[in-house]
Amino acid sequence: MRRRLIALVAVALLAAACTAGGGDTSGPAATIDPNANHEPMTLTVWSNFSARELKVTTGVLESIKQKYPWMTVKHVGGKDDAAIQRSINGGTPPDMAISFTPSFAARYCQTGAFQDLNKYLQADKIDKASVWPAGMFTYTQHNNVQCALPMLTDAYGLYYNVDLLGKKGFSQPPKTLSELADMAKKLTEYNADGSIKVAGFMPILGFYSGNTVNTYGHAYGAQWYDNAGKPSLSTDPNWAKMLQWQKSLVDAIGYDKLQKFAAKMGGGDSEWSASHGFETGKIAMMLDGEWRTAFIAADKSKVNYATAFPPTADDHTDLYGSGQVGGTILGIPKGAKHPAESWLLLKYMATDVGALTTLARGLRNVPSTNETLEKTDLAADPKFKTFIDLVKNPKSSYKPLVPIGDVDEQMFGTLGQKWQAGQVPDLQAALRQLDSQIAKQLQLG
Amino acid sequence: MATVAERPGAVPEQVRLAERRRRRRRSALRRQGIALLFMSPWIIGFSAFYVYPMAASLYFSFTRYDILSDPVWVGLSNYQFMFTGDGLFWQSVRNTLWIIAFLVPLQVAFGIGSAIVLTRVKRGLSLYRTIFFLPTMVPLVAAALGWLFLLNPAGPINRFLHLFHLPEPLWFYDPHWTKPGLLLLGLWMVGQTMILFLAALLDVPSHLYEAAEIEGAGPWQRFRHVTLPMISPVIFFSVVIGVINGFKYFTEAFVISQSGDQTGLDNPIGYPQDSLRFFTSHLYQQGFEAFHMGYAAALSWILFVVIMACTLVLIRGSRRWVHYQGGFR
Amino acid sequence: MTRRRPVPPAIRRRRLLLSVANHSVAIALSIAFLVPFVFILATSLMTNEQALSQSLWPHPFRWSNFHDVFTAFPFLRYTLNSFTYAVLATVGVVLSGVPVAYALSRMRWRGRQAAFVLVLSTLMLPPQVTIVPLYVIFVRLHWIGTLKPLIIPLFFGDAFTIFLLRQFFMTIPQELSDAARVDGASELQILLRVIVPLAKPAIAAVALFQFLYSWNDFFNPLLYAGNNPDSWTLAVALTQLTTLSRGVLWNLQMAGALLFTLPVIILFFFAQKVFVQGVTLTGVKG
Repeated sequence: MRRRLIALVAVALLAAACTAGGGDTSGPAATIDPNANHEPMTLTVWSNFSARELKVTTGVLESIKQKYPWMTVKHVGGKDDAAIQRSINGGTPPDMAISFTPSFAARYCQTGAFQDLNKYLQADKIDKASVWPAGMFTYTQHNNVQCALPMLTDAYGLYYNVDLLGKKGFSQPPKTLSELADMAKKLTEYNADGSIKVAGFMPILGFYSGNTVNTYGHAYGAQWYDNAGKPSLSTDPNWAKMLQWQKSLVDAIGYDKLQKFAAKMGGGDSEWSASHGFETGKIAMMLDGEWRTAFIAADKSKVNYATAFPPTADDHTDLYGSGQVGGTILGIPKGAKHPAESWLLLKYMATDVGALTTLARGLRNVPSTNETLEKTDLAADPKFKTFIDLVKNPKSSYKPLVPIGDVDEQMFGTLGQKWQAGQVPDLQAALRQLDSQIAKQLQLG
Repeated sequence: MATVAERPGAVPEQVRLAERRRRRRRSALRRQGIALLFMSPWIIGFSAFYVYPMAASLYFSFTRYDILSDPVWVGLSNYQFMFTGDGLFWQSVRNTLWIIAFLVPLQVAFGIGSAIVLTRVKRGLSLYRTIFFLPTMVPLVAAALGWLFLLNPAGPINRFLHLFHLPEPLWFYDPHWTKPGLLLLGLWMVGQTMILFLAALLDVPSHLYEAAEIEGAGPWQRFRHVTLPMISPVIFFSVVIGVINGFKYFTEAFVISQSGDQTGLDNPIGYPQDSLRFFTSHLYQQGFEAFHMGYAAALSWILFVVIMACTLVLIRGSRRWVHYQGGFR
Repeated sequence: MTRRRPVPPAIRRRRLLLSVANHSVAIALSIAFLVPFVFILATSLMTNEQALSQSLWPHPFRWSNFHDVFTAFPFLRYTLNSFTYAVLATVGVVLSGVPVAYALSRMRWRGRQAAFVLVLSTLMLPPQVTIVPLYVIFVRLHWIGTLKPLIIPLFFGDAFTIFLLRQFFMTIPQELSDAARVDGASELQILLRVIVPLAKPAIAAVALFQFLYSWNDFFNPLLYAGNNPDSWTLAVALTQLTTLSRGVLWNLQMAGALLFTLPVIILFFFAQKVFVQGVTLTGVKG
């Protein structure tokens, strides 16, 4: 019995070594003639859109039917990058994926989770350098693998409630972080029991999507990685300065009070509902993306607001006018069943002027191709123009892409949350430890 | 078996014996065949779902692997990263040890306590027992969601605390209070442990109590010197099972993090601030969200070793307590 | 219990007081165990605005929440998936477990003892150890995103079921099988005509355990079917309601949780006896 068992184990080990490999399917682009007669077929598209945005995007995706009557699109919302990644590794990917998190692009390109689109671009003779502004390639390719293309771009700017500011005698938005902190304290109103009624500015990291080390760090020009590609969170003093600024604002109002205020508002999820703190007048100033203009309109919020460039650190005023930019990216997952058809859809969503214009208008996002950027009528709205200017500003940037996806942001975010709660006695030591941990993560791959 | 029908003396003795031996061998072989046929589902299942995966998992633990491309041999570096590079691993170990250190003793104490209450009521015992046991029947996911609601910052429990002007923690939003929140959930679901103790308590022969009472032992002394020694095997069993389950702790934490983290943007494992990142959560996240399959396999082997050690303790210990239960004076 | 001696009044009074004290503790504990149910039920009958407010009692009672769960989310689909998983898994463990347990308990063959030890060892194996390679296997089979990885392996023997059935089969007198053998019955016939009818309570117990286990199971459906909303079981779907609705809907979430719990509670009340039998069988007294 025992000998047989050993033999069984040995066979199993052998089998493990032999069968573990994945079938690699990289070859020349299998393009199809879109005008040829085609059987009706359905493509599944995943995105993390919900509610109104989901409808807008679905509408544009379905408009592919006008171009290719045989193509039907099934759009599934609520799929974040984790879900997309899981489906690809699980062998059940959608035909096209829309991701909000450019951080993952390097990972998608490096692991081959998203297919290299260069072969399709070449087959269709598309000169990508002339179609998109150069900045777009910083978050859609990695080591010359163009595994994604931009759909629309985003920028984070400052939103402020004109009425709340006016009530306290402010007519101008803050331009520096010390002005911001100053105004935030004056704008914060309290209830009788000491709890917060109106927050001037919510400094809590990890609250809404604008409350990240990324958005705050940009105001200091803080660098994630040094020239050698090593994490520089402890060596670039700007990070520590940023965290000190953030903590001093949190402490001035009170960490517990801010947390309770956030929790009672319905937590971070209120960001995507009509109970959003800014839309309901409970937050006077915030950093958020250009899409918020559409949410405010759609939620029928009565907030009287304006937008401005994000404030910068006092010693980095040269950065004023720039901000954190990013975008929505499109990719064809590995293992997609109809890659040639997926490419037709992707090309349509990434380059078709009509589709992009409708999307940009519907979602209130900044269009991505040179052509649509020129033509857009969204610039007529001063609230929106802020964001178009931010995207055009050469100092605007996204954090450098690394093959570990957003693991570095996650880890830094967690440190930030501990820090603001007062659980980090030695910040410099903690940042050093974080650097070494990120470096080790990069090794693990 | 069919030898009854044979006529004696018709064939020479030797031939008959050889014939019988052959037949017996054939029937044994036949029986072996039938038995293996009956065993076949398990044999297939055992090789496909245990032997092969165990071996493969060991192999993967020495590789870098993400399913999309072939595994790459990296030697011990996954294990090295685990112990020296992965801060979140240690965070998950700390959280796991925390929940074991608090939940297991509390469950045992509360289980004994409520079982004692049950032994002392005569009328309505079965009703009380059903009520005490009922929460255990609630599916874990439903129970976790229920407590997420009960402990939400504006929820019923905080309103109750407010009535008495007690501090109102943010529970599952505040990293300091998440694990205590889980303790409440764990104590609510103490039924299984309680039923075990109830049976053990009812098994204690009443003459022992009577003897102790005659010797002048008070209630505490009776508990300390009669009850505790008598139920100690069950305590031991509960503790070890509790420790093993502690290492597998996952569902409650995952559900609460998932539904508690409402930004819907970041990874909810361990939310808030990794305070609910347990060993198995970390394994899940590394393996099936980050797709570090090699590293996850290494984590699973560490888990295997730890749990096997606990199981050995259980088996060793059980030998001892089975023995002295049989031979008590 | 039936002592006839008259009890002196002082002792009787003390006993009464003690009994009152005992019952008060028991009642207090009962309330602690039951109150969560009350709050959850109350919330499931509120409007969402009310659920988020400070009120404790629903006004008006919104029974339609239990209906809305089905219209706001594909709850019927999830319920069906949960039932599919639980029922087929139950069928699987019984069909595969009975013959294996029979071979392990009532047939003599070489390697039986070793096989039993291996069954026991898989019983103690933490399932997390094998998930990485199993996941890879299921990816290769294109089973991820379906219920197949949850169900099909159970048709190949489940250690707990086998162990439990074996323990029960051991208690059936050997003479019964021998008598059937003399009548010329084959092993299969003995199993089906003698053992299975006698082992009905044990089979019912393992079936019940497996049904509950699969119904409550979260980890496996999350891991293997979590990708595909069409394959979500109730356990997985309930954790996604917040994400799906982009905001907490306590009332619907609690209504969903109650609907999810209901079959289990019903089973518990109807099958308490089966349950107790099963627990005794595992060797753990209870």
